[in-house]
Amino acid sequence: MRNPWAQTGNYRTSYRQDTSIFATHRELVSLLLFLGFLLVLPQFLSRTQVFILDLILVYSIAVLGLNITTGYAGLINIGQAAFMGVGAYTAALLAPQGLPFWLVVPLGGLVAAFFGFLVGIPSLRVKHLYLALATLAFQVVFEWTVGHLPLLKQGGAMDMPRASFLGYEAGFRNHFHFWYYVALAILVILALFFRNLLRTRYGRALVAVRDNDRAADAMGMDPGRTKLFAFALGAFYAGVAGVLYAYLSRAVVIEDYTFAVSIKLLAMAIVGGLGTLVGSFLGPAFLELLDVNMEALSNLIKALGFSVAGVDVASALRPLAFGLIIVLFLMFEPRGLYNWWRLVRSYFRTWPFKY
Amino acid sequence: MSFFLQLLFSGIVLGLVYALAALGFVLIYKASRVVNFAQGQFIAIGAFLAYWAMVSLGAPFLLAAALALGLTALLGFGVERVFLKRMVGQPIIAVIMATIGLASLLDGLIHLTPYGAGNFSYPSFLPAGGVTLLGVQISYAQLLAVGFTLLFLLAFTWFFQRSTLGVAMRSVADDQMAAMSLGVSVERVFALAWAAAGLTAAAAGLVVGTISGLNLDALVHIGLRVFPVVILGGLDSIPGAVVAGILIGVLENLAAGFLDPYVPGGGTRDVFPFLALLLVLWFKPHGLFGTEEIERV
Repeated sequence: MRNPWAQTGNYRTSYRQDTSIFATHRELVSLLLFLGFLLVLPQFLSRTQVFILDLILVYSIAVLGLNITTGYAGLINIGQAAFMGVGAYTAALLAPQGLPFWLVVPLGGLVAAFFGFLVGIPSLRVKHLYLALATLAFQVVFEWTVGHLPLLKQGGAMDMPRASFLGYEAGFRNHFHFWYYVALAILVILALFFRNLLRTRYGRALVAVRDNDRAADAMGMDPGRTKLFAFALGAFYAGVAGVLYAYLSRAVVIEDYTFAVSIKLLAMAIVGGLGTLVGSFLGPAFLELLDVNMEALSNLIKALGFSVAGVDVASALRPLAFGLIIVLFLMFEPRGLYNWWRLVRSYFRTWPFKY
Repeated sequence: MSFFLQLLFSGIVLGLVYALAALGFVLIYKASRVVNFAQGQFIAIGAFLAYWAMVSLGAPFLLAAALALGLTALLGFGVERVFLKRMVGQPIIAVIMATIGLASLLDGLIHLTPYGAGNFSYPSFLPAGGVTLLGVQISYAQLLAVGFTLLFLLAFTWFFQRSTLGVAMRSVADDQMAAMSLGVSVERVFALAWAAAGLTAAAAGLVVGTISGLNLDALVHIGLRVFPVVILGGLDSIPGAVVAGILIGVLENLAAGFLDPYVPGGGTRDVFPFLALLLVLWFKPHGLFGTEEIERV
């Protein structure tokens, strides 16, 4: 570590340095600058634009969780939206009782984590695919149960109250701004936890079990318990995201937590780069912006008169684009957008030298 | 009693459809360890191709069915060649997720056609009514479906027991290395497995279409019902797929018949197979006939 501000190579000489989060001061400063930029950003944007940013932040939290289960621990989860839904419905039941949101958020996460634990139980005995099917079954059972419970209005809209914090009321005008800052704060905390997870033995056990569970077992880790932990933790993130989504959209509807949303979350994780922190933001940002423009695109197609009678272009373009993006990224860039980010970053780090 | 028998019979018919759909799934899994999440989309494509041939081209049912079977098999073959072949050697998670993406992609493609929304039914080619047996009403469509499915299953059994290609496919499922060293082209077997999956999916789609009409969501949902079936039967067992298909079909019909009156909103048939799936995963994860994985360091 010759110069704390610039670094052209790897000068780490001790284990402590190797596990440090920031290699150089420059990385820390640029992160802080970026956070500062995010803090002032909504002041220059319209309400709809802030709403899109809100969605990106909330989905980032869910994708972080997915990156723990699927990215770190290698357990395919195609029911992440159902875990979001568990959090959201917990909020829909608790928030009208007058509980403040800063209590509802962790509670929703904990309830979702409990369900994640239940769904993960088969992982004590079986691997990969069977677990993916357990999450699929959970998704279906969740949708069905919500659709049949009068308590949850059978999937219809359940109103969420507006929130306030330290006397600051989130009204109509500042609703999206308020939740932008709340979601940003929670995202920063959870992302820090995510980043630090790999520096703890629990996090390293996840990766070890993913890469070779027999070897991990031989070295004294308990693969079953590690997988359960991964499921519960990933579901906790999803639950938190679900609560935030509920407050943000001011109502809980089953359509926001269906199988299609699970696929969308999975696509976000893959596009961003599985198991990467930066990818958890890049993926949602990329797909959410694509989603917004998809509406514009389908309107354009309709305006140009290409649409056939009886065809809903908008509902066709979404699955088409998501599916295509998942397949193409898996085929040609399995490391996701994170890899591009890495290449750009290393270019600037060594500038003006080539390497 | 006749209510029970009625439910039992229609459950068996439904179960045979599941068995067909699950058969294609198991074929792919046995050959290449790939889990096909796009089976439901294959079913829908097969069913709608036949509808298109009958309504737009005016083809008779048999010709339309043959066309649908052929084209869907070709689609399965093409999908393997274009997408899955490039993913050989990638981690299994990536391959599974690729088929999830594929399912979404095919879904979008079907939505681009006029068949994406609404209900359709084949032009009727059977006389109305049916036969009564032991107090059970059996329509001609159901009778035809049972005959067609049994014929299909018999043909597949013959194919795997007697034909050279079928034996080659079984050998690859058993041991890829050994099969390769004996001159079996593993690549060709993979592609063939996908083609066979397309074929059985289209057959399942045809049967469903004849009995209960065509609706994209319902057809795609059968692709999801395949999972409880294959888990119950054992992922790599062809007889397991047939037995479990019939079991799940009967179970879900009995649930719908006897439990729906007690559940507000009804619809227990949509959730029962998946509850069964969760229970099987908890207590007997390798199913009825699946081979238990034994791992050695």
